[in-house]
Amino acid sequence: MAKHPIDWSPKNWPRLLYGFFTSFKLATVVLVFMTVVTLLGTLGQVEHGLHSAKEKYFHSFFFTEKIFGVPVLLPGGLLLMILLFTNMVLGALVKVRKRWKGAGLLISHLGMLMLLAGGFVTWAFSTDGYMAMYPGMTSDRVESYREWQLEIVPLSPEGEAEKAWIYPAKLLETMRPDEQRVIHAESLPFDVVINGFSKNATPVPVSAPIAASVTGKEIDGFKLSPQKASKEAEQNLPGCFLEIRPRDGGDPVEAILWAGSYKFDPREKAMPFTFPVGDQLYGALLVKKSWTVPFSVRLDEFIFERHPGVSTARNYESRVTRFEEGQSDKALEIKMNEPMRHAGYTFFQESFGPSGSQPGDEMYSQFAVANNPADQWPLWSLVVTGVGLGVHFVIMLVNFTVRSRQRRSSPPVAP
Amino acid sequence: MIPSFKHPTRMPRRGVPTTEPCASGQSGRDGWLSRPLPLAAALLVLLPACGEKDTPGLVERPLSVSEKNFRLVDSSMERFRYTARPAASAGTESGSATPRGLVYDTPEGWTEKPGAAMRDVNFTFGEKGEGECYVARLPGTGGGLAANVNRWRAQMGAAPLSDEEVAALPTRPLFGQPARFVAVDGTFSPGMGSSETFPGYRLVGLILAADAGAVFVKMTGPKEVVEKNGAAFDQFVSSLDVKSN
Repeated sequence: MAKHPIDWSPKNWPRLLYGFFTSFKLATVVLVFMTVVTLLGTLGQVEHGLHSAKEKYFHSFFFTEKIFGVPVLLPGGLLLMILLFTNMVLGALVKVRKRWKGAGLLISHLGMLMLLAGGFVTWAFSTDGYMAMYPGMTSDRVESYREWQLEIVPLSPEGEAEKAWIYPAKLLETMRPDEQRVIHAESLPFDVVINGFSKNATPVPVSAPIAASVTGKEIDGFKLSPQKASKEAEQNLPGCFLEIRPRDGGDPVEAILWAGSYKFDPREKAMPFTFPVGDQLYGALLVKKSWTVPFSVRLDEFIFERHPGVSTARNYESRVTRFEEGQSDKALEIKMNEPMRHAGYTFFQESFGPSGSQPGDEMYSQFAVANNPADQWPLWSLVVTGVGLGVHFVIMLVNFTVRSRQRRSSPPVAP
Repeated sequence: MIPSFKHPTRMPRRGVPTTEPCASGQSGRDGWLSRPLPLAAALLVLLPACGEKDTPGLVERPLSVSEKNFRLVDSSMERFRYTARPAASAGTESGSATPRGLVYDTPEGWTEKPGAAMRDVNFTFGEKGEGECYVARLPGTGGGLAANVNRWRAQMGAAPLSDEEVAALPTRPLFGQPARFVAVDGTFSPGMGSSETFPGYRLVGLILAADAGAVFVKMTGPKEVVEKNGAAFDQFVSSLDVKSN
């Protein structure tokens, strides 16, 4: 039979697009690419580290990969997931002929769609951070592991501030090292100029021999040496150059800002670069992005046991009290495999500090705080898919049995 | 444990004591629309920070109790967590601790000199004191392992190594951690303002780029003098430790 030529006229585009997105070929190609991307992403963790590999291979529309030394453009996990979701919705739910026989497959496809949707919700809406505290401390603030933002604060002579102007992490981290950005706030008497931002950097004193090989400005006896980003993104300490331009015509002030000036122990205080403008003292510093949870947690006791004779931890757990408006206070324990789940947040016993502490030293407890609206979706999607496959098996079995009986009971046909 | 110079570990940890309710203008659940979308960000940046309006994206918010207090410091040296380093006193006794929290054994025939800029421990050795060995520490990775290896090689007139070659350098223990071992022969140009060169020299050194900072142990001198003091170098390195209190 001769094939009809394809009608490429614009009026036929919707039909062509529908045909493309509902085709088995698309599903097959997408699944093959997903296998390739999963393989590359898994191997890529060795070179790039977990976070960077996730961003490059799975949270992207496209990425380039050198295969036998030749850079090849490949579709990223995000694009593949969107294509597969569209293909399954249109092909397996909309286009497919609706009949009782196909009910099981329809249900199992719904389960798979739930899994994909859950992946999207996790990518788009989940958060993870940490909360660290010494016994007796109370907190509702969670800090990001990886995201840094610029903060400008008006300071009292004692080093206290009531408010801050924040240049958010989502904008700061898009800066290129050769880029300059001017931040203007009408309520501040100066403009802030950021340049030379590096996601990982070290300030080097000019007296250090390595400083000779560091290009860039010298400010207050230091140069900023950009470093290769760490495989573990939470270990990066960003740095940048800052210029304060008073709008009253005063002399501009320059500084190097480095994330290492932030506080790394619950009892530390961050050390801003300070500068006076008029009669007011201001501070500028790089701080971790932070957010609050809708309840507070007080660490009542941190139990830390070491293996005998060595400083390695054998067991550690936290006794906490949870405070929430309108509810009675609740005493709880958070252990290694027994997190606290409340209001959509999960508190895991993650770590402890300070590093290098010896027996007898007071220690702080650190919780990983995760919020993922879809954290149970994979379980439910598997249940739905399993039910769908079960229903399909039963339908097929009944169908087969009925046909077999019919075949046996029907009289033989004369040749 | 490697010696600390009050530099934070590269795994920042921090706690946040506050009983204040959420006063944040930010949320961890800021949604997929606020994920770093390069195009949107670029558009925001391209908008001029002009006239009467605040820079797009700038957030003004009150600080919660845990965020309100800052430590005011006078210098970048302090802000970047470099502790002030008093000069080492000459002739430190064997097995004693320096004011910088290091303990070590001084090898026989080595003479301790006052600490110079960026040097925590400083020795000379050889008949005329022509050999030199020092310990230096820097925060972070101290400029990077490869950069420092190649800086040392350049001082000896040797070609730089690639990242892969640097990664393949042998390791030796320093403060209980594997440090890269560098050995180069050539004409030594110390730099640092000196144009003098020393042919027939050998440089032997260890670089430890750990989370808590970088440590450098470097020995230079006429090749035969350095060779003769190889065992002393090993003894000194293995004796290096952190003062426990």
